[in-house]
Amino acid sequence: MSNVCEDHVFSKVFKTHSKTVFNYIFYKFGNEEKAHDAVQEAFVKLWQNCAKVSPEKAKSYVYTIANNLYLNVLKAEKVRLKHADSLVKDRTHESPEFLMEEKEYKKKLDDAINALPDNQRTTFLLNRIDGKKYAEIAEMEGVSVKAIEKRMHLALKSLREQIDGI
Amino acid sequence: MQENYLAKWLSDELSEEELREFKSSEAYTSYQKLKEASSRLAAPDFDADQALQRLKDEHIDNAPKVITLNPFKKFLRVAAVIAVLIAGSYFYINTLDEKVSTEFAERSEVVLPDDSEIFLNADSQISYSKKNWDNKRNVDLMGEAFFKVAKGKKFTVSTDHGTVAVLGTQFNVENRKGFFEVTCYEGLVSVTHNNKESKLPAGTSFLVINGNIVSAGTPDGSAPSWMNNESSFESIPLKYVFAELERQFNIKVTTENIDTNLLFTGSFNNTDLNMALKSISTPSKTRFTIDGDNVLFYAGNTLQ
Repeated sequence: MSNVCEDHVFSKVFKTHSKTVFNYIFYKFGNEEKAHDAVQEAFVKLWQNCAKVSPEKAKSYVYTIANNLYLNVLKAEKVRLKHADSLVKDRTHESPEFLMEEKEYKKKLDDAINALPDNQRTTFLLNRIDGKKYAEIAEMEGVSVKAIEKRMHLALKSLREQIDGI
Repeated sequence: MQENYLAKWLSDELSEEELREFKSSEAYTSYQKLKEASSRLAAPDFDADQALQRLKDEHIDNAPKVITLNPFKKFLRVAAVIAVLIAGSYFYINTLDEKVSTEFAERSEVVLPDDSEIFLNADSQISYSKKNWDNKRNVDLMGEAFFKVAKGKKFTVSTDHGTVAVLGTQFNVENRKGFFEVTCYEGLVSVTHNNKESKLPAGTSFLVINGNIVSAGTPDGSAPSWMNNESSFESIPLKYVFAELERQFNIKVTTENIDTNLLFTGSFNNTDLNMALKSISTPSKTRFTIDGDNVLFYAGNTLQ
């Protein structure tokens, strides 16, 4: 039986989940430094309690630790995300107007994302950036899949309203 | 449209019919653009290997060391406490003065580190610092003792009546309640009483009774009489004579109709109580009865 106390098991768990833990905290609070700290904190706790936490439970364990760490302590800051360039390089669209429009849209999207409640933003970004399925996010947040779907629906709705100025 | 259809649309869970309906809505273009744009978003860089290394360096690799260190630290703590206790008690014991004392009807002889000798009469106590003896030859005395001091540095005897300082001589100090007598048998003794120094050449005595300096008779021989089992008195109030009697024989003396301030000159034997009692009663014209350890002296003319 594999045990989290074994170095290779622990390293595997770390490599699989540390980035998501990092992103998860970052989406919530917009603080990169605290997100790094949360990773350290969560996995130290996991290491200290490795005998008590099975590899299957390790994932939700670290999310819970990371989440509780800053709950009611840290005030959410602006989440600064990077925008990758469009994969489709459409020469005809690279007019100054288009670029201007694109830049404006990115800013609107940023603002709209930051205007979301923490839990909607986290759910939305975990899905869009990390490609996490609703079921996975539900597990991380410790809520039902339906609740995540609700958050996602509301997030999309408010983002669109914000961007389109409705 | 089903509940949370936007979420379902994103995860491709809408039925064909629902999808068609959604696509025909005016908001669809906006949502499509939002879907595309958000898929190009990226979080800040995160290096999992580096983070793992940091974790191991800062927390995990140190952890076992901390565990192994702990019992040693605890051991060190205990060892430190024990060391302090041992060192402390060593110094304490070392600074403690040597003490020799005698009970009633008991005598003792003490040889000091420099071979000076002290003979303790009954109910007496001396204390001195064995460790510091070479630097400071000082003996605290309660009671009576005869000193044979080896030649050397200043030798002092401290009593609550005064200090006796000598350089190598033989002398007797009696330091009792209300009674202080120093007798020099050899050499020169200096007595400081009430901050006044008196020099006692051999064959003289210094006597203080109840705070008054009294001229004392000259001692006989080269040692106090008690060294030869005899207590001698020259013009000494009877109460001190009785007190000495009590000390020598471990008895209780009571008096009836006797003025204990009357001066007594004479001596008694320290080994035979009956003889001693007679030695006191005859010259002082008193009578006595013995009841166990109690002796009653009463005026010769009264009673019986």
